[in-house]
Amino acid sequence: MRGIAKSMMTTLSVFLRPPVTRDYPNVHKALPERDRAFPLLLWDQEIDEPFCTGCHACERACPVECMTVLMKDNPNHKSVGGTSSRRKIIDKFWIDYARCMRCNICVEVCNFDAIAMNNTWSGHEMSVHDRKDLVMDLQQLTTQSHSGQIKEWVPVLGKANEEPASSESGS
Amino acid sequence: MPEGLFGLNPWLDGLIRLLLIVGLMTVVAMGLIYIERKVLGRFHARVGPQRTGPFGLLQSVADALKLIGKEDLRPRNADPWTFEFGPYMVFIPIFLGFVVQPFMAGFNVRVLDLGILYFVAVSSVSIVGWVMAGWGSDNRYAMIGGMRAAAQAISYELPFVLSLLSVSMLTGTLNINQIVEGQAVVPNIVWQPLAFVIFFIAALAELNRPPFDIPVGESEVVGGPFVEYSGIRWSMFFLGEYASLFIMSVLISALFLGGYVWPFGTELGVGFQLVLTVIKAALLIFLIIWVRASVPRLRIDQLMGYAWKILLPLSLAQVLINGFVLTYHLPMPVLTVVGFGGIFLLSWLTERAIRKPRAARASAIALQSEAAS
Amino acid sequence: MVTESAHEFETQDLLLNVGPQHPSTHGVFRMVMQVDGEVVRDIIPYIGYLHRGAEKLCETMDYRQGIGFMDRTEYLAAMNAELSYVMAVEKLAELEVPDRAQWIRMILVELNRLASHLMFMGAFGIDVGVFGTPFIYAWREREAIIDLFEEISGDRMMYAYLRPGGLAWDVPTNFVARTREVLTAVRQGIADFDGLLTKNEIFVARTQGIGYISAADAIDFGMSGPSIRASGVPLDVRREEPYLKYDEIKWDVITEQDGDVYARYLCRLGEMHESVKIVEQCLERLQPGAIMPEKMPRMLRTPPGEVYIRTEAPRGEFGVYMVSKGGNRPYRLKVRSACLSNLQALKHMSVGQYVADAIIVLGSIDIVLSEVDR
Repeated sequence: MRGIAKSMMTTLSVFLRPPVTRDYPNVHKALPERDRAFPLLLWDQEIDEPFCTGCHACERACPVECMTVLMKDNPNHKSVGGTSSRRKIIDKFWIDYARCMRCNICVEVCNFDAIAMNNTWSGHEMSVHDRKDLVMDLQQLTTQSHSGQIKEWVPVLGKANEEPASSESGS
Repeated sequence: MPEGLFGLNPWLDGLIRLLLIVGLMTVVAMGLIYIERKVLGRFHARVGPQRTGPFGLLQSVADALKLIGKEDLRPRNADPWTFEFGPYMVFIPIFLGFVVQPFMAGFNVRVLDLGILYFVAVSSVSIVGWVMAGWGSDNRYAMIGGMRAAAQAISYELPFVLSLLSVSMLTGTLNINQIVEGQAVVPNIVWQPLAFVIFFIAALAELNRPPFDIPVGESEVVGGPFVEYSGIRWSMFFLGEYASLFIMSVLISALFLGGYVWPFGTELGVGFQLVLTVIKAALLIFLIIWVRASVPRLRIDQLMGYAWKILLPLSLAQVLINGFVLTYHLPMPVLTVVGFGGIFLLSWLTERAIRKPRAARASAIALQSEAAS
Repeated sequence: MVTESAHEFETQDLLLNVGPQHPSTHGVFRMVMQVDGEVVRDIIPYIGYLHRGAEKLCETMDYRQGIGFMDRTEYLAAMNAELSYVMAVEKLAELEVPDRAQWIRMILVELNRLASHLMFMGAFGIDVGVFGTPFIYAWREREAIIDLFEEISGDRMMYAYLRPGGLAWDVPTNFVARTREVLTAVRQGIADFDGLLTKNEIFVARTQGIGYISAADAIDFGMSGPSIRASGVPLDVRREEPYLKYDEIKWDVITEQDGDVYARYLCRLGEMHESVKIVEQCLERLQPGAIMPEKMPRMLRTPPGEVYIRTEAPRGEFGVYMVSKGGNRPYRLKVRSACLSNLQALKHMSVGQYVADAIIVLGSIDIVLSEVDR
């Protein structure tokens, strides 16, 4: 019986500790900076257009082929009297969130740092009633960055932490 | 309660008491379901229900409403009489057992001189209900579950009754209220610790609670004898289980822990007596839920072996020692000493009965080579 | 099948279908048990419910894209699956992984081993009958480990963090302190499990003597991991062919002699203690430095060749056989699954036992169906 008594003492000690339940959805855990939900397009606030130029690099690199990208000539380019140095700009962009496997490869291959993974709770709370509503278009993808509600984390592949001393040892 | 409490026609009086039992037991069972979920949650480092109503208090009500609204299914080949009346045979005897529970002095639904005999007789009838449910479902797994439940209940009936017998030997009466009042100075657990432990274990088995819940908790394959029941029929079984949990706790507290009398004596007011009984019953319910949270389930053959080979001889020994002490007028502390010795013996036998790796391995090797050939 | 029992009745064996949807959480696995009364006579397993063609899919993925698929091959020990794949690519391309990446990889793999064994404890507790208590404790400790993984890689289960050559990006600056916090929480959790189950008489009665397999039989079946170490065979890939830095730190191979379900449980409990020791030693030896070799190409191409890499996953020997014909994707990727080999011994271990015990034996082999089916 001593083993059973020991089990019961263990459960009693857990009984006396506070419970570990977090009362979601009233309480949300603080997500870390690197949290990876679904991809979003970033907005260049100074020039007021997306960073994305529609170069198809992410579309080609995606393992599950969840993106469709179309580019157009930028009506805001300097040569036609605008402020931007981007000759081409994104015209239409669809990401199918139902296919995306959140592997981060699109973020790594982007030449313009134009795409980042959503690290807020809205990226996780994506329930819809119809699967077609999970295909996000350009307007839905840029809205969060446009309104400044995201503080994205775009990593550099293979970069080591800086040492406390002055020399940097990275690749 | 005293005769003619309401000064009415005895038939009307009886009807009121009947409604009182039904109403109270239903409310108590629903409250117990809620309490078990909360307390079990805390043992699991989580909170229990918390959304339905403040602190989740309306969870049982929500469950009851859901169960009432379910479709009443019946298998085509189910035997109509046994399938229909199985649930009733399970919970009516349990509600009848409520009649003799001593909540306050003289305020039982009815004070019976043969209280213990009545209780044992009535609680055994619910076993028939389990077998009826198992047989009437036209499902081989349900029948296996029903047979197992019957085997378990009958095996543990013996240590159950013998422990009750040893308690009533001390006070010389089967009247539960008199047993309670005989504990004004010292509760019976001091004189009969071994009987308390055996009765607790046997009560867990009678209630089909873990670790003895193989009939209800067959999560390995199917859900026991109730697998074909749905909605309100199933809820009758469920309510019956929690009602009998409450009744058993009140009974144990009355017989062993001094009921409404210890430690404040018989002059305590009626309201305080009720509170005292409820507090002791609550402690026992907590203990039962605590055991549920900590202990795995016994296999059916281990369960039966435990009842017949360990609990039954020890409870017989307890009865014999009681007789010895009472006949030769030995001092009562002898009972306490022998009782604690008996608990050590029980503990040692339990530990010893399971440590047989070499024998088990040899038989396993033999079975494997026989299967391979 | 008709058998004649001693009482001269003609009895018929019952075919019991333990269907793809289990009450015990092992995934979609179906077995048909031939039962004589209560005693199991034969088990016919049916697998393939979770087959997704991962090996074939990886032939169309380049070496970076394939990492996400390897995660999903064994989702409870994803770091280990990624590690085998990534080590195979490194061997083909002859890449040299920097030290810091090696130490961090070791820490992550051992933490994942802890998480996987905790999951085993939880599911096993449900099989044995303590419904709920060990399961919730397991998830409480896993939450600590998985929160740490979320801070490092961004995801809680499908990390995609290891890359050919090293790590995708460096760990956060508070990594060492956070890992020590996690280890404290996990030690408390292991103590909870130990107190709850190990000496509990009923638990011992349910698991001792059940599902016995001898050392010779286990080797014949090709078992590996804690399932074979519990039968007395001290076979651990980290000791046989040390990878990462396992030969530079002190740790023990946990073996038990009894070969039954209880011994497998004790083996995994001991391995959890060992993992905590290993992680502590690695944390002491961790130095700042590079995490990828210099001059990594944008798109990695491997010369033609073939390689077989074995690592010690929590469930056994997880092997990756990769054939490359030049180019940036494997020509053939084959995963040697530990769970599939261990599952072969299920019938041998459970024949002659009761039905309830057969379920416990299945739980003790600790399978995860995504690895069995790929």
